[in-house]
Formats: sequence, C-alpha cells, structure tokens
Amino acid sequence: MRLSALLSAARPRLPPGYRHGMWPPDSMAARLRNPPGQRRRKVFVEPVAKDDWKVFKGDTVQVLAGKDAGKQGLVTQVVQARNWVVVEGLNTHCRYVNRTAKYSGTYITSEAPLLLSQICLVDPEDRKPTEVEWRYTEEGERVRVSLRSGRILPVPPQPRQDGIVPEQWIGEWDGSEGWGDVAGDTGGQHCPLTCTDGPKDTSEEDALAKTYRPSLKTFEEEIMDAMGIVETRRPKKSYWY
Amino acid sequence: MGLLTQLVRGLVRGADRVSPFTSKRGSRSHNKGRGAKKLGVLTRNKKFILVKEMVPEFVVPDLTGFKLRPYVSYRAPEGSEPPVTAKQLFDQVVAPRIEKDVKDGTFDPSNLEKYGFEPTQEGKLFQLFPKNYVR
Repeated sequence: MRLSALLSAARPRLPPGYRHGMWPPDSMAARLRNPPGQRRRKVFVEPVAKDDWKVFKGDTVQVLAGKDAGKQGLVTQVVQARNWVVVEGLNTHCRYVNRTAKYSGTYITSEAPLLLSQICLVDPEDRKPTEVEWRYTEEGERVRVSLRSGRILPVPPQPRQDGIVPEQWIGEWDGSEGWGDVAGDTGGQHCPLTCTDGPKDTSEEDALAKTYRPSLKTFEEEIMDAMGIVETRRPKKSYWY
Repeated sequence: MGLLTQLVRGLVRGADRVSPFTSKRGSRSHNKGRGAKKLGVLTRNKKFILVKEMVPEFVVPDLTGFKLRPYVSYRAPEGSEPPVTAKQLFDQVVAPRIEKDVKDGTFDPSNLEKYGFEPTQEGKLFQLFPKNYVR
C-alpha cells in the first residue's frame, strides 16, 4: 500500500486542458471524465497565487450568496484550480446515486461547490465574516490576520495526502481479534490491513528506543570487531596533486 | 501516458525517440552492458584475470532478535536528533576517563594514546583524514 502511495505522490503533470472537478485527479471518476486527447472549453478562473490562498479544509466560512446565504459552515473540500470551496451541508441539491436497471437509486443530498467570491472567512471569536490577509508575526511566522479586529486565524491542521490519521492508527494487530473494534475506531479506513502495522513495520517503542552507545571507533571498525574480521593488509600509498 | 496523449493529438508522429537505448533494444548482435564495473584486469592475451579484492562481499551480521524493521509505524512522531559533534563524543567517552585518572593521580599528559589520541593516521586501515572509507 505504501509503494502505491509513493508512486501516486510522484504523479506526472496533468495535461494542459484538464478539467478539474470535485474528485481527486488520480481517481476513476477523473479518468472517466478526462480521457486522453479530450479538449474541452476552457474554464476561466480568477487567478489567485498559491501563496495567497486563504481558505483551507476545516475552516469555518460564511456563505454570502446563493440559496444558503448568511449561513456558516465547515469547509470539507478545496479545489484551488477552480477557486472552489465545498462547505458541509450548505448549497445542497438532491440527486440519485447507484442507479441500476431495476433500482431507481438512493436519493441523497450533495453539496455544490462555491466560488471564493461567494465565501468569506469568519473571525474565530466574533463569528462574524471578515476580510483576511497574510501577515508575518514578530517571530517571523506567516499567519492569517483578520483586517477588522486584528485577530489571528489559525490554519486548521491539514489531513495527510494519503488519508492516514496517525491518531487512529493501531499498532500491532493480531488476526485473532474481530473486526468490530477496528471498524468503529477508524473514520474512513475499515479494513484493519490499511490502519494497522504490518510485519515490516517497526513499532513505535522500538523506533524511539535509543540504543546508540558512543565510542571512538568508526562504524566499520566496530563491525570488524563484532564479526571477528582481521585485516592486516594496508593499501599502498598513493599521491594526488 | 504522456506519449499517448501526444500521439493522439497528432503533434508527434512515429517512434519514441526520447527513451534510452538500453541493452533490451537493438539486434541480438548489439551487445551493450548496463554499467557494471570490471572486477579485474584484461591481459594482452585477452584473458580476464579476476582480482578477488574488487569483488564486493556483503558483511551481514546475525539479525536474530533485531527489533528494527524496514518501515516505521505511522504512530511514531516525526523528528530527528541533532548529529553527534566531536565535542559531545569527547565529553561522553574520553572526559570521564581523564577525570577518573586525574582523581586517582595517574594522569600522564605525554601518554594520551590510552584515551584514544592518535598522533598520525599512518598505519590505520580506516583513516579519518584523508578519509579513505565511504561512510
């Protein structure tokens, strides 16, 4: 699993006409909707520099326009390429999923993305919408500062790219225990193989154990002593200028 | 994948001219190596004499009961320790010995070899300067 994660992290560049959606770029849906050689009409997006991006996953934002104008919600997804922000439970519409020939499908509510111009960050104490700017603190840390009140908006802790939550990671897991405790504990990962240590994983205690004994011998000399290798030959002297 | 998009778009036609020409391509008489080093000497009679010292030998210790494994659990926190400096090594290894000898009264400034002092690097297999080992 980790090797595929490494390979996907080193993914190639997206083609220039790629149409971004709410899906991750290396998923089945992306491949279906962006077959190689497809050329679609270009989507024009207000250019925002990567350093200037202010809205992150886990932020509270207020919706300014649309059906749910005036309501606040948590950001669940951000698509920088299209200036999109998906807020949980707001700007929703209902649709059918998992339709088959016989079954009409499950009717679910799904959120539509909102543009940056329809969104406003919210002051953490006031809980009122504010304009936000990137500024530097006395220590030199780059933080988001609300222009109205001057309070710092801390960036919420971002989830890992591979979706693993280290707090929910289980250490050694025997196959003998049932799946009941695993499925309830972890959020997205249900199979214990994807959220437990495998046979090639060092446990946390072993990894943090300090076993270094300082000595004046070099690494090679210590190994020769340990293995009982005796080397009396010496290399011939050579000179370089 | 990128090559396929180019082909489909019709910008580049023909064979792939960019991929490296390895020993897997070409005719069967095209003999090409993969960059292995020669382990000996080719004499004037075209006989190859193997030099045993050039043949790499893996020195592997017995790993029974060894707790460290190739990967680390996600639970272990990130971070690293600062590298050991010469001063720290001296303070941990040599300074206690010198202090003990000074307290016993047996400290001899002209005999520092017993604390690990090396006046020259001549005659040593692994010389520290100029460094003649890889690690």
